[in-house]
Amino acid sequence: MTAIRYRYALLSAVPVLVVGLLGVALAPAETCLSPFVKHLDRPEKYLYVFCVDADAKDNDFLAVIDVDANSSTYGKLLHQLDLGCAGNETHHFGFTDDRTHIWGCSLFSNRVFIIDVAGDPARPKLVKTFDSSAKTGLTGPHSPYALPGRMLISYLGGKDGGLPAGLAEYDNDGTFIRKFAFPKDAPYGYDVAINPKLNRMVTSSFTPPPNYRKPLARMDLKQFGDKLLVWDFRARKVLATLKTGLAPLECRWSLKENANHGYCNCALENTIWIWEGADENRYTARKLCDTGKLPADLSQSPDGRFVFVSCFVSDEIQQWDVSDLKNPRLVSTAKPGVQPNMLHLTGDGKRMYVTNSLLSTMDRSEDFWVRLLRVSPDGMKIDPKFKVDLTKFKTGPARGHDMLLY
Amino acid sequence: MKWPALQTFRPPALLFLSSFALLAPLREALSEESRLAVIRTPADFTLTMQDGKAFRLADLRGKVVVVSFIFTTCNGTCPATTQRMSQLSRKLVGDHLTDKVHLLSITLDPARDKPTALREYMRLYEVDAKHWTFLTGSQKQIDKVLSDWGMWVRPGARGQLDHPSRVFLLDVRGRVREIYNLDFFRPKWVLDDVRLLLKEAAE
Repeated sequence: MTAIRYRYALLSAVPVLVVGLLGVALAPAETCLSPFVKHLDRPEKYLYVFCVDADAKDNDFLAVIDVDANSSTYGKLLHQLDLGCAGNETHHFGFTDDRTHIWGCSLFSNRVFIIDVAGDPARPKLVKTFDSSAKTGLTGPHSPYALPGRMLISYLGGKDGGLPAGLAEYDNDGTFIRKFAFPKDAPYGYDVAINPKLNRMVTSSFTPPPNYRKPLARMDLKQFGDKLLVWDFRARKVLATLKTGLAPLECRWSLKENANHGYCNCALENTIWIWEGADENRYTARKLCDTGKLPADLSQSPDGRFVFVSCFVSDEIQQWDVSDLKNPRLVSTAKPGVQPNMLHLTGDGKRMYVTNSLLSTMDRSEDFWVRLLRVSPDGMKIDPKFKVDLTKFKTGPARGHDMLLY
Repeated sequence: MKWPALQTFRPPALLFLSSFALLAPLREALSEESRLAVIRTPADFTLTMQDGKAFRLADLRGKVVVVSFIFTTCNGTCPATTQRMSQLSRKLVGDHLTDKVHLLSITLDPARDKPTALREYMRLYEVDAKHWTFLTGSQKQIDKVLSDWGMWVRPGARGQLDHPSRVFLLDVRGRVREIYNLDFFRPKWVLDDVRLLLKEAAE
């Protein structure tokens, strides 16, 4: 290469490098996903809903809903992927880092379903089902969470449904790599959230399988966790154990620039708590605000300004402005129907899909649906044109829980 | 297991699907717990270096190896990945570790990235070829490597290629001990991991 060509090539590489770096930094986030998951570079076309057959007699399934605004079948069911077995209590979803496969966890059966969505997004395929308890000794797999080239699962229980619960890591093909038990003084498990910039991971705590398999009225409240763990992620070591309200569930690191804090909904205290890092290793937790009854899921706007919480028992979704962490402000509420639960906000922060089943042992309605909220800084509005009825399947009603977009 | 997922996207001789069927993972237990778990052992391969000579991965046994997958006309994550590799390379020089650590960058686009293109790309990033090798091969060879490493490539927007952004850290026995995305591919952190693997190998 001549010197002139070399200089030209070098100059032309600079904007490519800048674009590359900015592209990485500015890619829009679907705020509930692992930060390692590849982002959608277009508006969503398909909504996947993890469905529990309501009476647990027929096979559980994944429902594919058309959410392409330009499609003639917008808002309609496109496909049902039969998972091949019943009684799983299919619950939470997670994409692999490359967004080609969904992992779905089952709270009753311990099964994990690996589903290919990249081959034909309209007709996903089940490529593997495995018993996630067999090699880990852990039970109640809850949150499948992408790591680069691997998956992390947080479990609600340990051996035979006891404690401590823990975490397990798998290759993207479902091959077990290793596991970690939670410490004796904070043995409960639930969710996991990683902040790569800070090298920090937070885990939360619910209750082990024998307790959540009981009807809500018979659950033992003494068997729920009330702690968050802050981890050095790369070392997989616990740095801090933080006391919170009862049953801290979904963990969300703030998406504000350079933030070293995050949020967690304490389901049995009707609160949102915040964890805050003063420096690399000193973390504290405090109550941020009171919410409606049984805050079940938590989401946030891409800029980190708003936190959204579904209040399962008081039938509402709340939008909190958390610009001032000392004075969070309730901006709006929406009531899309009975017992709203899972929230899935799009990468642009404008559309929030909502389902309304929590657990078969905790649901109090058999009217299952998927709704859409239009979200802005001024508030949330229910889209009257989008209502997917999950009660009219050939096998009867289905409890829709977690969702993912493609 | 096979991943039949992406084959429907496959254009002629471009895409190869991630498949671990040929991986034959060897998960040998470490003598003691390490924060860097043994994730898998990818199959050996022979590809073509930037100077046209053959290169065999197994010849790097005894060294810690950092492996990236890029293509030279990428305007997505590859420039940032290669820039970080370049930063890491300079740190290795500064810490006198270049005889113990080797960097590899394997093209995702062998049809365009012939040895000449790789050499030009290396000049842009001031690559020291003594401890950083760029590799290409036939489409079939690259497809096989991608499959074995759980990687894939498919057509993306505006003539670009879509692919996962992963960088692999291999120990002296050729086992994958860490997989980074760009968030985690920080030269200081990688150097910490490299030192841990070298210490482990010395014990």
